[in-house]
Formats: sequence, structure tokens, C-alpha cells
Amino acid sequence: MSIFKKSKKNDTRNGQVYYRPMRDITLLRLFILPTIILLIVINVFPLFWSLFLSFSRYSAKMPNIWGTNPRMIGTINYSRILTDPDMWIRFITTAKYVVLSVGGEMILGFGLALLIFRSDFKAKGLITTLLVLPMTMSPVIVGLMWQLFYDPNWGTFNYLLGLGRIDWVSDPARNLYSIVIVDIWMWTPFVMLLSIAGLSAIPKYLYEAAEIDRASWWLKFRKITLPMVYPLLLVALIFRTIEAFKIFDLPMGIVGRGAVAPRLLSLHLYNVSFVTWKTSYGSALGYIMLIIIIATTSIFIKYLNKAKQ
Amino acid sequence: MAIIANRKRRIGRWVLIIVLIVITFIYLIPFMYIINTAFKPWTGIKVYPPTVIFKPSIGSFIRIFTSRTVYPPGEVPTEEEISGMKWYERIVYKETNEEVVRLGDFPRRYLNSIIICSISTLITVILGTIAAYGFSRFNVRGKDDLLFFILSTRMLPPVVVVIPVFLMFRFLGLTDTHIGLILLYIAFNVSFAVWVLKGFIDEIPTEYEEAAMVDGYTRFQVFRKIVVPQATTGIAATAVFCFIFSWNEYAFAFLLSRKIAQTVPAWLPYQMGVLGYDWGAAAAGTFIFLLPAMVFTIILRKHLVRGITFGAIRK
Amino acid sequence: MKRISLRSAAIVLSVSLIAGLSLASCPALAKEEFITINWAQWAPADYLEKLSRDFTAETGIEVIVEQTPWETFVQKYNTELIAKSDAWDIIVGDSQDIGNNVVGGHYVDLTTWITEQQVDKTFTPASLTYYAEYPKGSKEYYAVPCEGDALAWAYRTDLFEDPDNMAAFEKEYGYSLAVPESWDMLKDIAEFFHDPANDFYGVAIYGDNGYDSLAMFAEQVIWSFGGELGNYSTYKVDGYLNTEGAIAGIEYYHDLFQFVPPGFGNAFYIKTNDAFVAGIVPMSTNYLAFFPGLANKATNEYADVTGYFACPPQVGPDGVERRFAALGGQGASVVSYSKKKDLAFKWLEWFIRPDTQMKWAKLGGYTCHIDTLASHEFLNATPYNPTFKTSMEIFKDWWACPEYDELLRTFSEIIADYVIIGNGTAEQALQKCTEKWSSIFEEAGYYD
Repeated sequence: MSIFKKSKKNDTRNGQVYYRPMRDITLLRLFILPTIILLIVINVFPLFWSLFLSFSRYSAKMPNIWGTNPRMIGTINYSRILTDPDMWIRFITTAKYVVLSVGGEMILGFGLALLIFRSDFKAKGLITTLLVLPMTMSPVIVGLMWQLFYDPNWGTFNYLLGLGRIDWVSDPARNLYSIVIVDIWMWTPFVMLLSIAGLSAIPKYLYEAAEIDRASWWLKFRKITLPMVYPLLLVALIFRTIEAFKIFDLPMGIVGRGAVAPRLLSLHLYNVSFVTWKTSYGSALGYIMLIIIIATTSIFIKYLNKAKQ
Repeated sequence: MAIIANRKRRIGRWVLIIVLIVITFIYLIPFMYIINTAFKPWTGIKVYPPTVIFKPSIGSFIRIFTSRTVYPPGEVPTEEEISGMKWYERIVYKETNEEVVRLGDFPRRYLNSIIICSISTLITVILGTIAAYGFSRFNVRGKDDLLFFILSTRMLPPVVVVIPVFLMFRFLGLTDTHIGLILLYIAFNVSFAVWVLKGFIDEIPTEYEEAAMVDGYTRFQVFRKIVVPQATTGIAATAVFCFIFSWNEYAFAFLLSRKIAQTVPAWLPYQMGVLGYDWGAAAAGTFIFLLPAMVFTIILRKHLVRGITFGAIRK
Repeated sequence: MKRISLRSAAIVLSVSLIAGLSLASCPALAKEEFITINWAQWAPADYLEKLSRDFTAETGIEVIVEQTPWETFVQKYNTELIAKSDAWDIIVGDSQDIGNNVVGGHYVDLTTWITEQQVDKTFTPASLTYYAEYPKGSKEYYAVPCEGDALAWAYRTDLFEDPDNMAAFEKEYGYSLAVPESWDMLKDIAEFFHDPANDFYGVAIYGDNGYDSLAMFAEQVIWSFGGELGNYSTYKVDGYLNTEGAIAGIEYYHDLFQFVPPGFGNAFYIKTNDAFVAGIVPMSTNYLAFFPGLANKATNEYADVTGYFACPPQVGPDGVERRFAALGGQGASVVSYSKKKDLAFKWLEWFIRPDTQMKWAKLGGYTCHIDTLASHEFLNATPYNPTFKTSMEIFKDWWACPEYDELLRTFSEIIADYVIIGNGTAEQALQKCTEKWSSIFEEAGYYD
């Protein structure tokens, strides 16, 4: 595209023009304010509301009566969540899910990217496009179809792998992995795409120089490929970790939210808030999840900034 | 030596290609399975081992589009009644012994998906473009903080946000309305649109704008006549992304809609039928539902990296 | 190339937008007079819509039956009712939810109407208690029994009457193979047929789902073995739920669950039917409302050899024989926020008429009308109607207080941990449940 080519020349200015800013101040407000207002009304204001609710006792199923529903009870919701041994199982299960699925995606996605990047044939673009398809499909609908795919009595998954009648979906010992498998299937292409982008950006002369030095394949990989792709892999890691931590639609499609479903935080949050209607308890749990997400993200971003230097 | 090395390399190349093709094939098996299931007759789905070759039936597609009741035991339609049936009614009768009562809920839900996603995408892109232009061209005080704030709203887990939104919508009477979901999807996508579009607009050189303004164009005219035409590709790509995101959205739709504004993802997983789980109809619905997203993905292929990283990475 | 395809995407988007807008703006077909009934999404709701065509023909009032999937049925009307929505005039709400809706003020008090219309004389007393009364025993009614339902069983007569099977069973267990006369016998039969090596399994029962299937199966074995969920009037749980009989019942559930097909940990209403139709089990349990699927020859090749029976009795550890079935079904209630209450009452008056009830039963609805239940016409209409009549005499329901959903969720989680997953013992599970329930009731102020 011509637009992109031209833009490269101007990248250094970063698009910043301090051009008669005062005259444009009205227009600027007109341009930016709608977005900010919308986000404040639909995202920020409700968040403060639920922060307030998390310190009260409130059920959305009951009529609102100030003083009884909601009734302020301080930090009881939080202390209850943090002292409940079942909650710790949920935290650990969620962490396990994040580590397994994101780990699998990183390894497989990077491997796949190396394969595709090294190969040279015309249908490469087509293959990349086909591989990317699962990523943009609705997780809940795809999950539903995987539920049938996994079915021990007439599903195809066990049959194709020759596994016999393994119960993937409703056996609590296994159903976390059944979701991990689908998550990896869906999101490996994401890591793959980012890795290919990273690999393409490595200047050829680095490899040529290594070739002259007769560096081994492994050394080249370790000293050139990995460090150059590392920032992009970190970006992929950040995105996937956040997404995997708040995963909700995929388990809803594959396993549902029943008592044998894996003890994932988001499923529990749904059950607490919308099945047993303990709205305030749910708000407190939501805030704890939020803090975890913000904390993990900022740690990753720190590493990312370090890697960029 | 050189010949051997060359041959080795050529064999290696072919092995690589074959491995990639095999991986792609395996990767697409779930999709083939969906299509396969959608065309199976009722009695062909719950069998083991699964069949791949069978006489295809469009019964599943008819069932997903209709609402039916089973004939009570002992009530058999006469020959005359059967010959008076419409073609689809006869297929349903022969396959599952059911009577078509009316048009099913699927078309309505599909239409809801289209309405809500299109309108929200349109507004999101308008809001996103002007805000992105503002952020790109002006020196806004606390710009980085504002941009980070915009991004952070997208990082919230939907299940966390949905509790207060649910209360607010109920208070305002917005639950199960098109407007409610459209508003939500705009808020959900606008952060994405601002980030990606800012990247696109940053890439447009400012010389034209400066020249135009010297010629007496106002800022708004510059925006409309110079920036927007140059950013068309970016805007279109962003729009398609927003559309896909809202097309696939589940948590908000599931909790905030019931009937009038319900979209397909919130509806399809809970259609089970009374004669046993109607996997055929579910697969048929899935097939029809996934099709637009597939087409859009293929159209978008060149911009995927940029889109999925919120414009953080530009190829 | 890229630019063209993106432009085409933009065109597709705008075309669909215009199409969507034009369709959205066309007003819903205006109806002169209509009422809206909200029910779960299943066959009986279709029957009710069919039945109501007669009402429309008679009075000119249209009847719309809105259907919500079971998964979210109660959740969705809960959220609408608290917002005082007038979307529906009548709700055919789940029996256990009645307390919640009465306390919340969502249902119109029907007590005087029910006595005026003599519903208390023409409908079975048990159905009135479970579907209409709150608090239980108060003689205050908020609903009209609409769809009676209970858990019952379907079995394969060809397998039960096969001479080889009969001889082998007699040899192994010392009595003849027949329709189960006790829960113990049912387990023996399941064990006898269970043959995973040949993809055949003993029995199809509920494992769990997001709603109440596991709890419903558990409660009926608890009652049958002599346990109780608690005292429905004092809300005391300790000494009821953690007793010998209840423990025996849950242990029985756990033992029976060893004979289910793979993948039954989340088996719900549909999955048991599926297993039966696939021919991999000799018997399966389900709510009676799901049996039309089994009697349908097009979708069940065993329809001709399918028999039905009600939940069997059982001699508990205390030596007393009891017989219970878990209650399903719903009562029709008028919504307090409806703007068309007069029309809703008109519909109810029409619905409780003997001829309507007869037609209702014939279409496939399960009536609770005493005269209809006793008629030969009803008993011969379907192969499972006699089973329904028996079940109506032995059914019993879950808690009906507003906290029922929390009780349900806790119970499902704890019992599933033992029955489905196999952690701990029945005694531990019930003790844990007793403690949690007691604290729920205490928090809600029932012990003050």
C-alpha cells in the first residue's frame, strides 16, 4: 500500500504536530469527549458502583431498600472470599489453566511460526489464513461443537485419536484439559502470527554473519532468533495471559457451569452473581480478579519495557 | 558434495511443505466436522463409530429455522395430509415425525446479531476515527494516561463489568433492548478502535494537511477531505474487526438479553429440543453463524496482526 | 487487491446495516387483544400454544407463549420481575421458585379466586400444595397447577423379557427379572446389564447440570430411604439431612452412578433420552414431559419396545417402606405488574374447565385435574400416562423458600463431589451440606 510506504518516512515524527493547537481546542474536545464520556458512563461509573456494592450486602433478586438491601457491612465479603478454602482451589485451578493453555500456545505457536517462516512455497499465505480461522470464531459456539466432538459415546475426538471411551467433558479430572486443548487450538495461531511478524523483522545480515562464523543452528537460534523475537513473544504472552485468566465463553460452551465444571474463577463469579444472586459477594470477587489482572499486566509490561531497551 | 547438499535441501523443503499441509488439515478437522454433522440425518449423528460418508440431508437446516411439535403417539397424519404438506414439512415429518408450527427463533436471533453488530460497528468507527485523529494530531494534556485509560477498559473481564452494568441497565430499562446492547458493544470496542486507528492515522503524513490549511481549509475540512480518504483502508479494517468482536461476544449478550435483542451466541447453545439433543440443528446453526466471520477473516488476513494487538505491532 | 476486498467488506457491512435497520423499524404486527405467557422452552409449551388456539377462537384474545431455555428460564424471569416488567401476564414458573416470587410480590394472590372457582376441589390436593401454595400449609394460593410432572423411568421391554436375560438374571440374583419393585432391585438390574466392554451400560440417570437435575434425583432417593431434606416449616436441617436414611439414599445414588455410560457427569434431561435412543442402556430416568421423545418412532427405533414405570418404593434402613418421586412441573401465576390481569384471569378460567383440561391432556400436557386423571381416555392416550398417574400420588418437592436457589447450588456442588467425583463419604457430604444449609437459613433469619 502506498500509504504505508509513505508513512515510513514520517515515522520519526510519530505523527505529533503541534500545529496551532489553541485554535483547535473546541474541535479537539468535540472529537475526544464523546469517547471518554461513553467509557465513563458505561465502564467507569458501573465499576465504582460495584466497588460500593462489594462493601455491602446486596442481592439483585430482592427489592432495593436502603439500609437492608444494600446494607453496608465493610470488608466482610473480601475476608470471606480470602478465607474460603474452596476459593483457593479456584484460584489455583485458574492459574493452572492460564499456565497450561498459554504455555502450550507459546511453544506450539512459535514452533509453527518457525516452520512456516522457513518454508517457501506459494500456498504459504493460504495456509496461514486457514490456520488463523479458529481465532476469529465465536468461542461459545465453537466450544459447543467441541462438546459434541468430545462426546465419549458418539464423538469423533476419541475415535480419531484411538483413545476409547474417554470422558473429556464431564469428568472433573479431565475437563480442565479439554478446555485447555480447545484454547490452544484457537489461540496458537495468534502466537504464530506475532512470531512470524517478529521473524520477518530480523535483518538477514545477522544470519549471514553467523554463517561466516560457522555458528551452529542452535547458537543462531539462541543468539539471534530468540532475542529478536522476544519482545513480540512478550506481547503475545501479555495478551494471552489476560484473555486466559478471564476465560468465560469457552468453558460455558464446552462444559457449562454445572457442579462438575472446572473450578474457574469466572464461572464461579457468574454462578455467585447470577444464579444464587449474591450480587455484592460477586462484586468483591470481581474486584479481586481485577486487581490480579492489573498486577500481572504491570509486571509483564515492566519486562516488555526492559526488553525494548 | 554440493549436489547432495542441494538434494537434501530440496527433500527438506518438500518434507516441510507436507508437514505444514498435514498440520493445516488436522487443524481444520473441527470445522469439517461441523459441516459434516450439519448435513447428517437425525439418526446418523448419535452413532459409533462416526460416519463420514452418508446420504446428506437438509433436515437439520430446516429444523434450525422452524419451531416444531412432535405428533402425539398414535396420531398419524393421513396420506392426504402428507401429500398436502409443503416440501420442508414433509422432510421434517419423515425425519423426526414432527409438525412444523411456525418459523423458528433462529432467523430473528440472526437478524438481531446483524442489526446490533452493524450499528454498533458504524458508531464505534465514527467515534474511534475522530478520537484517534484527535489523539494523533493534537497535543492533548495527559495523553498517555488518557490512552491507557481507554485501553484499560478493554482489559476488564466482561463478567466483572456485567454486574453493575446489569443493575444500571435494569434501572434504565435497557435490558433486552437493541439500544442497550449496541451501547455496550460501542463501549466495548471503542478502545480497540481508538488504538488501532491512531496507529493508522499516525502513518499518514501531515504535509498535506498543513498545505491544505495554508490554503484556507478548516481543521474539520482537512479531517474530512484529506485524512479520512487516506485512512479508508485502516478504517475498513478496524470496522471489520469491531464487527467480528461483537459478532462473537457472548457474556454481555447472554446476561443482558432474553428475547427481543438476543443474539445468536447467547441463544444457540441452549437449543436442545425434546427428542434428544438436536446436534444436527446446532451444527447447521453454527455453520450459518460462523460463515460471515470466516469470510471477514479471509478479507482481513493482511491486517490481522495489527488488529489482534490493538495496533501495537505494525507489520 | 487488498483495498478492493476491504471496500467490498465495507459494502457488505453497510448493506446488512440497511437491511437490518429497515427490518427493525417495521412495527410488530399489532394485535387487538393478547396476553403473553412465559414458560420454559420445551414441548409442553408448544402444546399450550396449540391448546390456546381454542381460547382465541372463543374469545378473540390472542395468546402468545414465550419460551426461554431451561438453563436460564428462572434466572431470566427473576431479573425481569424485579424490574417490575409487564412483559408477561402469566408466568408458568417452576414450583420451587414460588416462595421467591410471592415474597418478592411478583405474583397475584389467587386464594379467593381458587375457592370461588373450586380449583381446590377439582385439582389434586398434592398438586395445589406444591404448585400453588405458599407458605406450605397456609392455604394461601398463588398459582393454578398447569403442568404436573415427576421423575419416572423408561425401560426396554425386549431386553427385560428376553428369556436368556431372564434366566441369567434369575441365576445371578435369585429372583426373576421384572420391572423394578424397589430401588435395590433397580440397582441389581443395572449391574446385571452393565457391560462397558461391549458399549452397553446399566442405567442412564442424571449427573448434573446448571439447574436442578442432580438435586432432584438425590432428593427422591433420600426420601425413599427414609431421610429428609429438613423440616419445611421450622427450617431445621440438623437431624433430618444427616440421618441414617439420607446417608443410605446418597450412598445408593453413588453406587448406582457406577453403571452409567461415560460422559454422564453432566447428564441432564436430554442426555438420558439420548442414551436410551442410542440403545446403550436398558433403562433411563427422566421427567415425564420428556417421554414423548421416546415414544416417537421416527427418532427412537426402540419406541415399540419401550415401557415406562414410576419410581419404585424402598424399605429404608429403619425397616419402613416409602415411595417418593421428585416433583417437576409448574403452576401458572398471574404477574402483579401485568396491565391485562382481567384477560389473564379470563384465560385461567378457561384453562381450568374440564373440557380444556381433557384437551390439554390429549395434546400431551400433564393435567392435575382429578376427573381427567381418572378417565380412561386419559389413561389410554399415551403409553406413559398410567405412569404419570402413579407418579402424581408419590411426588414431593424441594424447598420452596426464596433461598431455594442457593440451597440448590450448595447441595448440587457438595453431593456431586461425592456421587459423581467420588471424594469422601456420603456422611461427610451430608454433614457439610447440613452445616452450610443451616448457616444459609440462619443468615436469612429463619431461626430468629
